[in-house]
Amino acid sequence: MIAALGRILILASLFASAAGALLGFAAGRSRSLDGLNWARRFAYLYAGLIIGAAFLMEYALLTHDFSVGYVAQVGSRSVPTWVTIVSLWSSLEGSILFWGFVLGAYVGLATYFTRGKYVEYQPDAIGVWLSCAAFFSFLIAGPANPFLTVSPAPLDGPGPNALLQNHVLMAIHPPFLYLGYVGMTIPFGFACAALLKGRLGHGVLKPLREALMLPWIFLTIAIMLGGWWAYEVLGWGGYWAWDPVENASLLPWLTATAALHSIMVVERRGILKGWTVTLVQATFLLVILGTFMTRSGVFNSVHSFTQSAIGPTILAFLAVALLFCIGLLAFRIDKLESEGRMEGAASREAMFLVNNLLFVLLTFTVLIGTVFPLIVEALNGKQMSVGRPYFDSMVIPIGAVLLFVLGVGPALPWGRATSEQVKKALLPPLATAIVFAAVGWFANIRSFWTLLTIAFGGYAAHVTLGQMFLPMLQRMKRGEAATTAFVEGQLSRGRRRFGGYIVHAAVMGAFIAIAVSSSMRQQTELHFTKGQTQKVSGFDLTFLGADQRSEPHRTSIVGRFAVARDGKPVTTLEPRMNQYEGMREPIGTPDVHTTAGGDFYLALSNIDLTNQTTSITVYAAPLVVWIWISVVVMGLGALFGLVPSRRRAAAASQVREPLPEGATETA
Amino acid sequence: MNRTVLFVGVAIAAVLLGILFLGLGKNPNDIRSPLIGKQAPSFTLREVGTGRLVDLATLKGKPVVLNFWATWCAPCWEEHPVLVANARMFEPNVQFLGVVFQDEESKILNFLQQRGSSYPTVVDDKGKTAIAYGIGGVPETFFLDANGVIAAKHNGPMSPDILQANLQKVMR
Repeated sequence: MIAALGRILILASLFASAAGALLGFAAGRSRSLDGLNWARRFAYLYAGLIIGAAFLMEYALLTHDFSVGYVAQVGSRSVPTWVTIVSLWSSLEGSILFWGFVLGAYVGLATYFTRGKYVEYQPDAIGVWLSCAAFFSFLIAGPANPFLTVSPAPLDGPGPNALLQNHVLMAIHPPFLYLGYVGMTIPFGFACAALLKGRLGHGVLKPLREALMLPWIFLTIAIMLGGWWAYEVLGWGGYWAWDPVENASLLPWLTATAALHSIMVVERRGILKGWTVTLVQATFLLVILGTFMTRSGVFNSVHSFTQSAIGPTILAFLAVALLFCIGLLAFRIDKLESEGRMEGAASREAMFLVNNLLFVLLTFTVLIGTVFPLIVEALNGKQMSVGRPYFDSMVIPIGAVLLFVLGVGPALPWGRATSEQVKKALLPPLATAIVFAAVGWFANIRSFWTLLTIAFGGYAAHVTLGQMFLPMLQRMKRGEAATTAFVEGQLSRGRRRFGGYIVHAAVMGAFIAIAVSSSMRQQTELHFTKGQTQKVSGFDLTFLGADQRSEPHRTSIVGRFAVARDGKPVTTLEPRMNQYEGMREPIGTPDVHTTAGGDFYLALSNIDLTNQTTSITVYAAPLVVWIWISVVVMGLGALFGLVPSRRRAAAASQVREPLPEGATETA
Repeated sequence: MNRTVLFVGVAIAAVLLGILFLGLGKNPNDIRSPLIGKQAPSFTLREVGTGRLVDLATLKGKPVVLNFWATWCAPCWEEHPVLVANARMFEPNVQFLGVVFQDEESKILNFLQQRGSSYPTVVDDKGKTAIAYGIGGVPETFFLDANGVIAAKHNGPMSPDILQANLQKVMR
């Protein structure tokens, strides 16, 4: 019953999206406002249907209706309710349905919030969104159908993938990732619409930037949550392994970050238009590439879903989308004429260009490292993997230069600058850079790249903090009170600028925390018998014993450790080994004592219940928590800049774009 | 039309799509064992129940199916009847041998009494044999020819078809 209803909803969503896409493109050609209105109605219809289908699946999961194929595959009566809820994205078919759900929400909201605005671009944008929607509805209806009927229905199911059940972060990381990934469809629609129209006017820049910023925030947080999860669960003391699927989430983030910067150059100077739409398109294509990587079985990774038949279908979609973008760019890029030109090497726009080239260089570096094993295997049949040494040696220098540009860029003025101005802008921050590096040196840091990162971070901190509060200081100079100046200059008028500099400050924090925590990390392997105490990384560690604990869905062996420092007890840590039913090997879960100064991290390598002995690996790394905090601040800073102040929102709603020629106002 | 954009774009697209297309259809978890084609690492391990020592070298002369497993591994339960039935079917031409690692002897005995057995099972106490064979998870199965050379390896539980297809490679 539910299965049949689900299939009907999916087929209807396929129809609604396909029809809406055709209507949208047709309205874009004929410039008919009626056509646009119909396309919008179909967009709402699609959104309603696919969201309804996802809720129906949640209902089937929660009521343990094992006659529904997907529920029989991942459901279980013995798992906690939160695991049942997140089972929606625990396996291939459900995850594609979840994709549809998120896309439905984005398309519905984007259509709603752009109503009556950007009429020149909106029909084609809706056409592109709904074309993507039609592809995903097709996937759900056919190759990855979660609504198959199972008869006779089993009484119970195996439950979702154990890794998903192992930590609550797994309930949060995938939704953020999907909100980031899927949301890139919306700016892609605007970029394609601009190319189809052959015009990237000022009108479309705002929706393009905002539609790119929101999923960027989600993707930023998602990447951090993924790293944090790996750190809290996988037990190797690290958070990033250059795994193909981690790279898949990083690639669109890099191009999206580049695009967010190049849009500012388009806004200010009217240049880099073709480049900007290319970056936005590349972001979407990299999202589809990432989806292919996780779901085709081509890449080996902790993240990959099992081998599936949908790989070829996604590859075909990627090919069509790629060729569509290339064709569109080849035929229309020359129409997006520049309104200005680059003034000189020592200008802010030149630094934006350097930043963009670095981001694209990083994208290619990571992309090549990721697909290189495939190339080698295709050429000579040898299996290999590209790991840390390649990525570290390539990415660390580029990252360091990027951090330097983050400092230099905002110090330089737009347009042509005199050498006097340049000197005045670039020399003073050098003092802060030297102070930072000296602090690092006295904190016993000897790694060249870490010291350089700290120095560049100091440089950037000087510039960023100066720029951040510039509007407020200018107001105070004119005699305004500090509070009014802060509210007016920072919170109200200068929101976007202030938000942007908060992001920059957080990026510096993240860079320094990553560099210091990875280069100063201590790793010790220890063997304990019950009651034994050993000294490690400044702590006294006592093994209190091993217990077995049983829960309905897993059995765990827990090692209990007392942690003390200078004779005073600090905490108790309980790293464990979890054995889930149906897994080939137990999953270790480390335990971490986190402080602002650093983390003390225990992971079991071996534990013996009968003899009460254990072997553990202890990691002690400074500043790790600042990575997570910095990235959250990045997201919050961007969000702050994105949300308009009340006054600006009121002003903006009164300005309406002129209608395209030939259109008449109907409703 | 901008020809540069077109040519560069099509070139990048062709290379990327070509690589991804070639990658389709293979199983990335199927990492080929470097031991294939090499002499199987030797071991002498204690048989469960009897305590008798089993030396791999003494089994030379006929093909050996070496199955690494554990009682805590659900896919191993699924595979167990397949192994028991096939060991009976190919007796005495093929020697089956179970190697249990990271497990307790009482649990193994219990398991074998409940589910039956038709071939010897040895215990890899310290996990040294599993390390020598590069075991990543259980079950994993090695197929040794009559000379003790590893001819094939399978990761994960085997269906009768998979088992017999691999046996073909060592029975000649």
